[in-house]
Amino acid sequence: MPLRSSDARWGALAQFFHWTVALLIVAQGAIGLAMVAMAPTVAKVKVYALHKSIGLTVLALALLRLAWRAADRRPADPPAMPRRQALAARAVHAALYVLILAIPLSGWLFNSAANFPLSWFGLVHVPSLTGGADPALKAFARAAHETLFWILVAVLAAHVGAALKHHYVDRDAVLARMLPWRTRRRPVPSGDSAR
Amino acid sequence: MKRLVPLLAALAFALPAAAREWNVDMTRSTLGFTATYQGEAFDGRFERFGAKIAYDPADLAHAKFDVSVDLASADTQNAERDQMLPGADFFDVAKFPRARFVSTGFRRAADGTVLADGILTLRGVSRPLTLTVKFTPAAAGAALDVGASLRRLDFGVGGGDWADTSVIANAVTVKAHLALTPAGG
Ligand code: HEM
Ligand code: HEM
Repeated sequence: MPLRSSDARWGALAQFFHWTVALLIVAQGAIGLAMVAMAPTVAKVKVYALHKSIGLTVLALALLRLAWRAADRRPADPPAMPRRQALAARAVHAALYVLILAIPLSGWLFNSAANFPLSWFGLVHVPSLTGGADPALKAFARAAHETLFWILVAVLAAHVGAALKHHYVDRDAVLARMLPWRTRRRPVPSGDSAR
Repeated sequence: MKRLVPLLAALAFALPAAAREWNVDMTRSTLGFTATYQGEAFDGRFERFGAKIAYDPADLAHAKFDVSVDLASADTQNAERDQMLPGADFFDVAKFPRARFVSTGFRRAADGTVLADGILTLRGVSRPLTLTVKFTPAAAGAALDVGASLRRLDFGVGGGDWADTSVIANAVTVKAHLALTPAGG
């Protein structure tokens, strides 16, 4: 699979970013929801540290992903796709990009305003965004972190639902071209003259 | 009977002279500590403490420190942590509301630093502790800066699970700055 995307298929790097971030986000949601219910023990501290480290990784991956997207191309929409649907897809994708940046950022902001230390897997010290405790900002960032997460869940439901609809109802190649393995629906070379 | 008063006076003077006593101006004094949480140092301070200070750099033999700290007044600028500190795993203020340091003797180290030996009682454990003492006379009094380092686990602060020193380091430094004003005018 070529590194770059073509008119018909997402390239290896775009797929790598898409699926790693997807996997990490799902893990983050599960860890986040589970950890807040834990009793205050050392184990809780360690799970929090893990959540923060993975979250910072997502932030870094999201930034790299956007940089790569600017340099890469985007496969063409299926010809049969109505314009309104294409616009809706663009809007959902834009929202997803905003959310995968805003959620870890709000977590980082919360952590800073609560005046907790922050380190990436205990290896790299990560500076505070506030330079000390800030109770008002802390409450805001805390609420933002949780609310944005639930908005992400809703947007993802639409995103995943749409992907499955493309695959099973429209029977086009939209899901297949994002999958690293071949499916019975081979990406249609929709005028793929680029290769 | 009339001779009793001069007698008592004479007796009083015959008692070993106490080193100069000071009042502590609490509004300008701080007592704090630095500990390490998840590899990062953080500062805490005790909002409430009391100190009885008798000190004259020229008369260390009669110097005396007696410091008592209200452990429930710890503030580390982190709401979650400040909620845990008074709990049974840490200071256990329900059982041991105060920590106390009482000096037993003063000496001068080879490099001239003044050291105050004493006993720190914290969380029901009494252990020797030595403070470094820096006394700076000022126009209307003096400043006293003391420092010490201790191991939190010696006193059982952060026991059980929290004994994990990769999460909370064992070493804790304590620092105080006391603004002294002349006592009794
Ligand atoms: C946290 C999870 C996810 C996030 C943040 C996410 C985000 C995104 C974003 C931003 C794009 C747009 C790519 C671009 O145009 O630059 C995209 C595309 C895509 N996503 Fe996801 N996604 C997630 C999970 C999933 C899942 C679980 C599926 C499959 C069921 C999926 C299927 C797809 C497909 C098929 C595309 C390609 C759309 C196209 O070719 O036009 N995504 N995703
Ligand atoms: C990919 C990104 C992230 C996702 C999806 C995510 C998700 C979540 C979720 C679902 C919760 C539980 C909210 C609740 O129900 O109370 C949570 C809590 C939390 N997150 Fe994140 N998070 C992410 C990144 C981060 C980052 C980067 C940090 C810090 C640097 C962070 C710090 C926290 C903290 C400290 C809490 C606990 C809040 C509390 O104890 O009240 N998160 N996160």
